[in-house]
Amino acid sequence: MKKGIVLKLLVPFLAVVFLVGFSTAAVAKTIKVGGLKDTTGATSDVGKDAALGQAEFWQYYVNDHGGINGKKVKYIWFDYGYRIPEALTKYKLLKRMGVLAIMGWGTGDTEALSPTVNKDKLPYVSDSYSAHLTRPVDWVDKDGKKHIGTGYNLFFSSDYSTNARACLTAWYDNKWKKNPAYGKRKARLACCYMFPSPYASAPIAAIKNHAKTLGMDVGPDQDVSLFALDTKSQIMALQKFKPDVIWHGNTTMSVSATLRDCYALGLKANHIVNNWGYDENLPRLAGAAMKAADGLSVMGATPCAFYGQKTDMMDEVVKYAKKYNPGVPQEKRLNRTVQGWCNGLVLWEAMKRADKAGDLTRVGIMKKGFETMRNFHIGLGAGDVTYLPTDHRAATGCWVQEYKNGKFIKVQFVDIKKRWPKQWASEWFGW
Amino acid sequence: MKKKLVLMTVLLFGVGVVLTSCVTVKPTETNFKAPAITLESFEVPQYDGYWYYGSKTKPAKGKAGNHGAPLPMNFLFNIENPNKYPILLESIKFTVAFDKEFDVVTVNSQDTIWIPAGKTTQVRASTLITVRSGLLSLLVTGGYKLKARGWSPWKALERWWTGVTDYTLPVTVHEGAFVFKADGVTKVLPFAATFK
Repeated sequence: MKKGIVLKLLVPFLAVVFLVGFSTAAVAKTIKVGGLKDTTGATSDVGKDAALGQAEFWQYYVNDHGGINGKKVKYIWFDYGYRIPEALTKYKLLKRMGVLAIMGWGTGDTEALSPTVNKDKLPYVSDSYSAHLTRPVDWVDKDGKKHIGTGYNLFFSSDYSTNARACLTAWYDNKWKKNPAYGKRKARLACCYMFPSPYASAPIAAIKNHAKTLGMDVGPDQDVSLFALDTKSQIMALQKFKPDVIWHGNTTMSVSATLRDCYALGLKANHIVNNWGYDENLPRLAGAAMKAADGLSVMGATPCAFYGQKTDMMDEVVKYAKKYNPGVPQEKRLNRTVQGWCNGLVLWEAMKRADKAGDLTRVGIMKKGFETMRNFHIGLGAGDVTYLPTDHRAATGCWVQEYKNGKFIKVQFVDIKKRWPKQWASEWFGW
Repeated sequence: MKKKLVLMTVLLFGVGVVLTSCVTVKPTETNFKAPAITLESFEVPQYDGYWYYGSKTKPAKGKAGNHGAPLPMNFLFNIENPNKYPILLESIKFTVAFDKEFDVVTVNSQDTIWIPAGKTTQVRASTLITVRSGLLSLLVTGGYKLKARGWSPWKALERWWTGVTDYTLPVTVHEGAFVFKADGVTKVLPFAATFK
């Protein structure tokens, strides 16, 4: 009888304990996403803010909004200091930790990792928007050179080459056509960028090709280090060519130094800047070169909105930045945070789609996630994105904005695919 | 039989009282008091001097490259939990600056640590920079500040690597964010301190 009572009480008790235990285990299933960021290296002037934004998005926003259809996400990120060997080491660690996807960073390491990533079939969403990463299937260029497909490389933005073409087009339409010399002579383009930098040099062939398409002359390239504070010799070298427009391919600090010297030396040219050189810090660092009444005209590629600029989702970006990094002053937050969110939003959507399809795996995220997206709306001022199994150019153009009277103002949305559909389809693809 | 049932009931009731007494206060947004964070100490656990060689220098072993002396750093924080329930330290992030204005590294630790109710826990965050990483960081984020001080990057690096071990160099932790959780309630605390 005694044994009976104990059993009657013990069995239901243990059953409850086990049920609670197992259900907790089921709920506790987490999905791992990795991150490789530069918060200390050669691109940390833009990398730190991007890293903060992505951490706010993955660690907090995603989990506050249901994770991956109810599954929690653990975001594990490392600072690799823009050192390629370090990126390779950390990539191996993240892979070993079982991440389903990685939020990558720079062009050098992303391109160096690309063959490995594609062999491992591990979705790699980078902040490098190099056009070299947009062609998923093996291809041969017009010179007969073979290129390996980059099927697991992705990003939300228009690529650097499309950005460059968009900037030059916007300058041509909005500045050059109003120039008294228009129709009388060819416009002149010069490029300032760090020659050995994979990021800075990635779109140079494209912008020169585009200058020819628009009937422009191209002057001598100027090698400007990412660390440059003094670029007078490069600017003086350009004075003979008299460029009408200068393309800046570096990140913010050296672009600001080049603008300062152009202004100081009186080089009469307009300026167009790739996205990683064009942020809220640029006018602060360039000073009078951009802010004075006779300051330079500086336009740039903006694949998404500036931090705090009015657009859908921006309230969330600002809210999470304030909440999770209260020690970072708001005036230090940049459009890099927004870029980080945009890349996060496309991966999150891909993961949810793959999960819904019952295939939340690395391959599933690509095939049943990314490659099912057609004009997916991200918000945050970014273009709607499409990923095809044969074409990972997510966006076909971008907003070009200009700094005027203390503000960034939208000049033109240039859709390269719409304007040059034939070249977009096959010719301007992968470089 | 009846006596046994009564005894069993009393026993279960007692166990229930004991278990209930363990759960005293449920965390809420309003009763979650901010933990107190202080920087207890800063140390260089292994010092290897100041040196740098470029990629043109042939090393005795291994491959040539741009390499500089490492500088590992440990930061020990005291975290006092004033609440009547345990809290989880979920992540720590902060930036280390030398000479108050030159950021050299941003530390991100996602080690999770439980801090018992009313107790103080010590948490160590470690990081490492090298003369090479310091140089790159300095050149890209500190260029104008160096210019304003009239310093070359090398002057700054030598000052830092030689000053850090005798504690003549102000080492600042800033832009800190300590994320705490308790039963679904989150509290994020900013943090800044200078170790002199």
